[in-house]
Amino acid sequence: MGNLLKTEWYKLRKDRSFWVLLLILFGFAVFYPLLINPDALPTGNDFYRGHILSINTDIIRLFPAILAGFFISSEYSLGTMKSIASSGNSRIRLYFAKLTIFSIGSAIIMLVLPIFMLGASLIYFGFNLMPDWPFFLQTIGLIALYAVAFASIMAFFSTILTDSGKSIAFLILFIALGGSLLEYIGSKISFLEPLILHSIFMTQPSILLIDQVGQWSGEDVVTYIVVPIVTFIVFGILGSLLYRKKEIK
Amino acid sequence: MNEYVLKTSQLSKKYQNKMALDQVNLAIKEGSIYGFIGQNGAGKSTLIRLIAGLAFPTAGTFELFGVGHEPELHEARKRIGTIIEGPALYPNMTAAENLEAHRLLKGIPGKECVEKTLALVGLQDTEKKKAKNFSLGMKQRLGLAIALLGDPEFLILDEPINGLDPMGVVEIRELLKKLNQEYGITILISSHILSELHLLATHYGIIHNGELLEQLTAQELNEKSQHYLHIKVDNPEKCASIIESKLATNNFEVMPNGVIKLFGFVDVPGKVSQALTNEGLVIEQFMPMGEDLEAYFTKRIGGVHHG
Repeated sequence: MGNLLKTEWYKLRKDRSFWVLLLILFGFAVFYPLLINPDALPTGNDFYRGHILSINTDIIRLFPAILAGFFISSEYSLGTMKSIASSGNSRIRLYFAKLTIFSIGSAIIMLVLPIFMLGASLIYFGFNLMPDWPFFLQTIGLIALYAVAFASIMAFFSTILTDSGKSIAFLILFIALGGSLLEYIGSKISFLEPLILHSIFMTQPSILLIDQVGQWSGEDVVTYIVVPIVTFIVFGILGSLLYRKKEIK
Repeated sequence: MNEYVLKTSQLSKKYQNKMALDQVNLAIKEGSIYGFIGQNGAGKSTLIRLIAGLAFPTAGTFELFGVGHEPELHEARKRIGTIIEGPALYPNMTAAENLEAHRLLKGIPGKECVEKTLALVGLQDTEKKKAKNFSLGMKQRLGLAIALLGDPEFLILDEPINGLDPMGVVEIRELLKKLNQEYGITILISSHILSELHLLATHYGIIHNGELLEQLTAQELNEKSQHYLHIKVDNPEKCASIIESKLATNNFEVMPNGVIKLFGFVDVPGKVSQALTNEGLVIEQFMPMGEDLEAYFTKRIGGVHHG
């Protein structure tokens, strides 16, 4: 497994789409705060929530879809998946190596703004903008966790679609509209409602409000931590089973 | 030690309503160069994909290095190198980076093998050039280099000389011969360029419409190929008439370029030349010849098929 993780990590480091996405996000993180009016700045948690986390949750969460298209689906369209699958490694291991490194890549993408935009803002406007440490660390942890959970869903569909363009288009639409779609389904099929309300689509936006939750109850722990982990495991297993039986063209 | 690196038994693969492979019993001896011949869609790539683990048989079994079941098959596949339906490369990586990715995948220790393998296929000077900017021939060489990483015992090469220039074809042929003769690597090679295959293969398998029609050695092919006298004269029509009247045979073909292929008289060429010159014909070319692989293949599958 170690050599497979090294291989995927090597490919991620050489993946042009990954670096382009990071560059765009880094540029945005550095330059966007300069457009903010310094006279009307909220402080602390509100600045972090309103100017950084909201952009990350609404828009940047779609970016890993682009990486999924290039890092996973393109292996099929380029034909390199044939070399990978015939390398004498078990399909399950191959899938989880790919998923693990893609998840790390997604988490890195999702963490650029919360870390670098906050850093740039602190330099430009002063350190009184720094959110509370517990709030900051909790959001960093949860953003990474949700990135990994969404990555498992993206990897699953990228393995089905096997075409970069189709995967990117489908995943962007799916991730963007998935919440609304699930909400609609939940309103029509009542027994699915609790499941849908606790899905990562519905709970992810709540990351912004963690500091308002106060002390976490047991249910919060389940909602915010266990659900993304279960999502990762379920879609990881589904994806690996799909890949195991997949005929590679 | 297994005498055969690959043995299939009633191996079949069905796609929807089409039998892509139909009860194929194929055997590849260790140390051989097996030329796998067939038209497009005959089933060559399907068989190779089954062996490589990219697709799964509908029926039948196969043994690779004597093993036929997972997880032993995974280990057996580590001993093979493949090019399947063209070289599979990362276009934004250099040749060395492509090899490095595959070195890590195969778990080969030490980076020295990358430079060594690049030199073996003549790509040591490509430096920072990305694979997407390679010529088709260079891509084929890089694909071969990837297949050769890790010193495989069995190479499976699907159309490895497509797109190579004449010098490149010769170089790859010599390289494959060297790998086979000096390192004992068994090679399964499918190619449309039958003349090239004829110079390389020690064994042949002819596949048509998913059925393996025949397996034979190069020597058997030579013995089975029809031999004939190649005759070119100043007047082919008159020559044909003389052959019919004086030699009492119609077992000959007049080719569009006027060359006559006369079968059945290879052992008595003097009798033929005398008959022709006695009638005043000027002989321009006169030599015994054998059918090539292409002619044998065409005859074996029942003539030229279109569409």
